[in-house]
Amino acid sequence: MRRFLALARTAALEALAEPLSAVLFLSALLMVHLAPVFHYHRFGEAARLPRECGLSALLVFGLVFATSAAVRTIGRELSSGTASVALALAVPRAMFHCAKTAGVFFAFLLFAAAAATATILAERTSVLGAHIAAMGGDARIWGPGLASGVGTTLLAFGAAAAANRFLNWRFCSSACLLTAVAQPVALSAAAAMGGFAGESFSSVARTVPAFMLLAGACLVFIAIAAALATRLGQATVAAVLSGAVAVSFLAEPVASACRPAGWAIRALLPVISEFWKADALLGGGVIAAAEVARLLSVAALLMALWLGVGSALLAGRELP
Amino acid sequence: MSERVVETKGLVKTFRDFWLRPVAEAVRGVDLSLERGEVFGLLGPNGSGKSTTIKMILGLLRPSAGEVRLFGMPPSDRRARARLGYLPELSYLHPFLTARETVRYYAGLSQMSGKAARARVDELLGIVGLKGNEDRRVGGFSKGMARRVAFAAALVANPELLVLDEPTSGLDPIGTREVKALVRRLASEGMTVLITSHQLFDMQDICSRVSILSHGRVVGGGSVADIVARAPDKRHALEDYFAEVVA
Repeated sequence: MRRFLALARTAALEALAEPLSAVLFLSALLMVHLAPVFHYHRFGEAARLPRECGLSALLVFGLVFATSAAVRTIGRELSSGTASVALALAVPRAMFHCAKTAGVFFAFLLFAAAAATATILAERTSVLGAHIAAMGGDARIWGPGLASGVGTTLLAFGAAAAANRFLNWRFCSSACLLTAVAQPVALSAAAAMGGFAGESFSSVARTVPAFMLLAGACLVFIAIAAALATRLGQATVAAVLSGAVAVSFLAEPVASACRPAGWAIRALLPVISEFWKADALLGGGVIAAAEVARLLSVAALLMALWLGVGSALLAGRELP
Repeated sequence: MSERVVETKGLVKTFRDFWLRPVAEAVRGVDLSLERGEVFGLLGPNGSGKSTTIKMILGLLRPSAGEVRLFGMPPSDRRARARLGYLPELSYLHPFLTARETVRYYAGLSQMSGKAARARVDELLGIVGLKGNEDRRVGGFSKGMARRVAFAAALVANPELLVLDEPTSGLDPIGTREVKALVRRLASEGMTVLITSHQLFDMQDICSRVSILSHGRVVGGGSVADIVARAPDKRHALEDYFAEVVA
């Protein structure tokens, strides 16, 4: 267990220590917090745009961040020789692969939690903005929500810079961590300023299952990237993974045209249209708990499959 | 009776391309044996198969033919690998970790517990001359300093067999002298050391026995004391012997 933790901790730190990670954390969270500002079309519901913006940020920014981290921490370590030193010791290859992937999973889940919290705040900011407009107010933006969301996110980056300057902390990893921690702080600040008045907690928490499902699908793609990185170069993994994501989007039309192909896709990949449940939340709807449990079980099985494939590929690989 | 720590018999390694066509025969029937407590030098010109042989001993490469035994077990056996430390030819380290974190990472991989690991890491960073630089990130280290961190990482679990691939590469003369003194000390404490280097003068100083590889074959070797005894120029005995057998 100590070996597993040492490997996973280093992989998580490596994922967060890259400048790209800090850029993606900042861009994604600011995009979600600023979504209520660009609220010219309501698409039938005030909270819809920020919610779908948050889910899109998780899918696009999260996948870019986590799959590149998985390829770096496994592929680059194998090609540079860093992995050879660990594998020459008594570290089983399957443990090396699973622990490294688990470290990247942790970093991704940190991103997902931050994105979900930011989305809940952005949804409330948007709903309150619409309410103010309906009441005849000029403002279409609920200022406290926007200020606390954007302000704490930027402050977290400032705090990371100060910690780097005065405490010698790593800038990028502490910026990612502090930004993630800043999101619940922003949400609490907005709640204290009346952002959740008249809104029960259960309706706010409707958003969380949607994020859990999409995060589950993303974890499968991260496991696929990690498995491919044991044998393929970074560019090849990126190309194959892009293809896999595209195929998972096209799973339903493919299945209607050729059923065996649809089964094959479902046996290997998460079908994005099933894991993207934004429509189920329209008009105060909820995602059924049984559906969440079923889809998360599918994602867990696919993750286990790809972790097994990655471990087997690494076990058979020579390290010259 | 002395214990055999490493033994290879008829070791062959042929690298193949994607279509399984042979590309290079790096090692062609190498027989080696290392006894407990000796400092064994694996010498040879570039491309002679030294690193490939070491990687087969460590279980990183699979032999195409022949056999490797590590503490009497195959290198795939984790009980055997748990007893070794490895310093690769290049210091592959995580640039975002500090020197202390790097050595602690390897302590974690060797299942060392918190308090014991902390004490061992501090001791080793002192031994390799990195006191005062423990909390600097290794990404900013010079090649020689990174080499010292890697050396400390190889020693963290107090291994019975230490495999050193070009340990003095990148070190200044003082650093080289310190490494030589450290290797001698470790051997006197019973550690077996397998070392490769192009610094024949240094190898003559620290090795008890050598094997010389050329084109993947053992072309010479024996006790360093015997090689020196036979040589007219004692100071350059190993260098002269190397030139003679490789030529």
